[in-house]
Amino acid sequence: MRVASAWLAVAAVISAAGVASPAAAQPAGTLVVGLVAEPVNLDPAQVTDLNSNRVGRRIVETLVTFPEESTQVVPGLAESWTVSKDGLRYTFKLRKGITFHDGTAFTAEAVKFSIERQIDPDHPFSKLGKYPFANYNFGNVKAVEVVDPSTVEFVLKEPRASFLAVLTAGAASVVSPTAVKKFGADYALQPVGTGPFKYVSWDRGQRVVLEKNARYWRYPVKIDRVVYRPIVEDQARLTELLTGSLDVIVGVPPDFVGQLEANARVTLLKQVGAHVWYLGINNQKKPFDDKRVRQALNYAVNKDAIVRDVLKGTGSLSRGPVLPATWGAEPMLKPYPFDPERARKLLAEAGYPNGFSTSLWVPESGSGMQSPVAMSTVIQSNLKAVGVTVALQTMEWGAYLAKLRTKEQELFALSWMAGNEDPDMVMYPLLHSSQWTPTGPNRALYKNARFDEVLHQARLTTDQGKRAEFYREAQRILVDDPPWIFIDHEIQTAAHAKRVQGLKLHPSFDLRVETISLK
Amino acid sequence: MRRYLVRRLLLLVPVLLGVSIIIFMVLHLAPGDPAEIMLGSQATHADLARLRADLGLTEPLYVQYVRWLGLVVRGDLGRSIWMKRPVLAEVLGRFQATLVLTGAALLLSTVGGVALGVASATRPNSLLDRLSAVASLFGASMPVFWLGIVLMVVFALWLGWLPASGMFSPYGGGDLGDLLVHLVLPAVTLAAASVTIIARLTRSTMLETLGQDYIRTARAKGVVERAVVLRHGLKNALIPIVTVVGVQAGYLLGGAVLTETVFAWPGVGTLMVQGILARDFPLVQGCVLVVALSFVLINLAVDLLYAWLDPRIRYE
Repeated sequence: MRVASAWLAVAAVISAAGVASPAAAQPAGTLVVGLVAEPVNLDPAQVTDLNSNRVGRRIVETLVTFPEESTQVVPGLAESWTVSKDGLRYTFKLRKGITFHDGTAFTAEAVKFSIERQIDPDHPFSKLGKYPFANYNFGNVKAVEVVDPSTVEFVLKEPRASFLAVLTAGAASVVSPTAVKKFGADYALQPVGTGPFKYVSWDRGQRVVLEKNARYWRYPVKIDRVVYRPIVEDQARLTELLTGSLDVIVGVPPDFVGQLEANARVTLLKQVGAHVWYLGINNQKKPFDDKRVRQALNYAVNKDAIVRDVLKGTGSLSRGPVLPATWGAEPMLKPYPFDPERARKLLAEAGYPNGFSTSLWVPESGSGMQSPVAMSTVIQSNLKAVGVTVALQTMEWGAYLAKLRTKEQELFALSWMAGNEDPDMVMYPLLHSSQWTPTGPNRALYKNARFDEVLHQARLTTDQGKRAEFYREAQRILVDDPPWIFIDHEIQTAAHAKRVQGLKLHPSFDLRVETISLK
Repeated sequence: MRRYLVRRLLLLVPVLLGVSIIIFMVLHLAPGDPAEIMLGSQATHADLARLRADLGLTEPLYVQYVRWLGLVVRGDLGRSIWMKRPVLAEVLGRFQATLVLTGAALLLSTVGGVALGVASATRPNSLLDRLSAVASLFGASMPVFWLGIVLMVVFALWLGWLPASGMFSPYGGGDLGDLLVHLVLPAVTLAAASVTIIARLTRSTMLETLGQDYIRTARAKGVVERAVVLRHGLKNALIPIVTVVGVQAGYLLGGAVLTETVFAWPGVGTLMVQGILARDFPLVQGCVLVVALSFVLINLAVDLLYAWLDPRIRYE
């Protein structure tokens, strides 16, 4: 009996506590965001993951940026720019009167400092951090020159028309040199910039708190504070949103989409992102060196079913690497239709009337990989139907990336997040023959002479109209001589409470909470 | 006694050394390295080579290990590759949260398990005994993450009694009450398997003890039943129970990894998972070292408890 009454007492305490502190409504002006994982650090030049960027980029800004809902390049901290005829000099006029959160002035010196700390090994502050993508982004930068306090010039080693798009990357953010000097290696944990929010505090594993920058130059920020909470478990994130403890969650798992769409307490947002999910094919291995085989694989896969049944509508059909409806996209392109009959015919023509056996490598998860195993399983059964027997091999992400460097892959699932819509930023690294793995990320070992030439020509001109023509031709080549099985572009999802007004998802996968207000 | 203690503490050194070598090897022999994961699918060969050199990964394994050991001896666990923070401060900070969670789960499972076991043993084959047998089977066979999610859906989503995740409210809160409310679901989830194991063991040892001659003697002398059960029975049945509680303490530390992940509990478990996925060698080494150390210390504490419980046991 004593045991029973003890348990009753415990139950009473629990329920009393539950009543005493219900999931209280957030204080007015505070937005609570649930992230899929904890940010690793907040210096966008030193991070490579989405969660860190989504927080870090509230604090610092870039010279050029994107407007809402598009990845066209528009002025940011620079109010205007000119590009020299030879495409080697980019001169930026900076906005005047902007200060960093620590009160120091934003100047051309700060721009030079922010970039050079990453690329110049002799820079006094280069040793304070590791800049994984410094070479990828700025390897082509010969010098950053201060013309006057509000004019800065980038001198390139060779023309690269996508350089403006490069300058929208997090790594190109302008940081307060005073803060970097003051905090040293710890700067990455408490960044100082010109952005709409200031860093306040970080309780490890629990929350990162930012506060509005009352002197933000672009517009008055309408919320006072943002709290980011890392919650890995999908169900926990969802529960916190539905019980009112979170205002916004990003990355809604496909299986929850229907449930949230039907829930009157929350709003579900969708936005196609600058991303592509593809099933890579080793173009140098038999039988894949025959383009008829690669075409056949494209016909054999039911992409509609993948998007509808596995991704529950969180993907849009891909017809190539370039995001449809952007300036570089070829509008006449059609996705490969699902046509197993045609696939079998093409395989027979190529000399494989009875199909063949091959392997498909799949990571269990990974940045931008959506639902890799489920998607690959559908592909496996589709290919089986046309006589191609696929052995599925799943791997952990780190192990998978290492294995792809061996060039032993036959079929492999991978994705790419360019973060912007410049076609050069996706086609060149993934498909130009100079980028074959292990040198670059062309893991399909794709090589097409005309395609290479077209991409190279497009880099030499800064006229966007001319570039678009080159890229359209390149995309037509890719449809005829497919390097991969094209699958989908991710439709990113977020859900928010009704009190959140004006949240829009951005195609770059950024989460711009500065544009919202709270009811 | 003191000599025994000193000897046991000295034994810590080879144990921790062995643990660190094993974990170091396992981490480094697994394919993929931190540079690979940081650069992800966009890596170029040149960037990888540069980053690897920067991170000191190009040196032979034994050089990397000895360098790390050199740091450890000086009480420094290095800086996390991924998070750029000093590992020691990070791990100790997170370990407090893990201690709170495992401590609560251990308390819950010990008190609950012993009470349930004693109650079952004093009324074998009663309704309570049978219910507890069924519950034990259920508790022991349920995966932690599944039970956690079920409890979360019922008590947080449907009933709205308890918060679904975290250790404190994201704003305000921060006091003991706030902590306790957040602690309930993860602690119950973590304790579920242990409570049943302890209950079953307590029941069988108690049944055996209660059948002893001295219990009959005590009853014959007219000692009240409660005193018979608790003072004469339970105290003598405690040795195997303490052993299993000690084992469970270690199990709970390990099980905390999953529970913490489900409930976004900011402990060393979530940190370790992050570290392993990122191949953050110094961070994982630091976490494992701290967990291993506490495991060994718990075992030592259990051994010392024996002597206190049973005066016949001497450590010389």
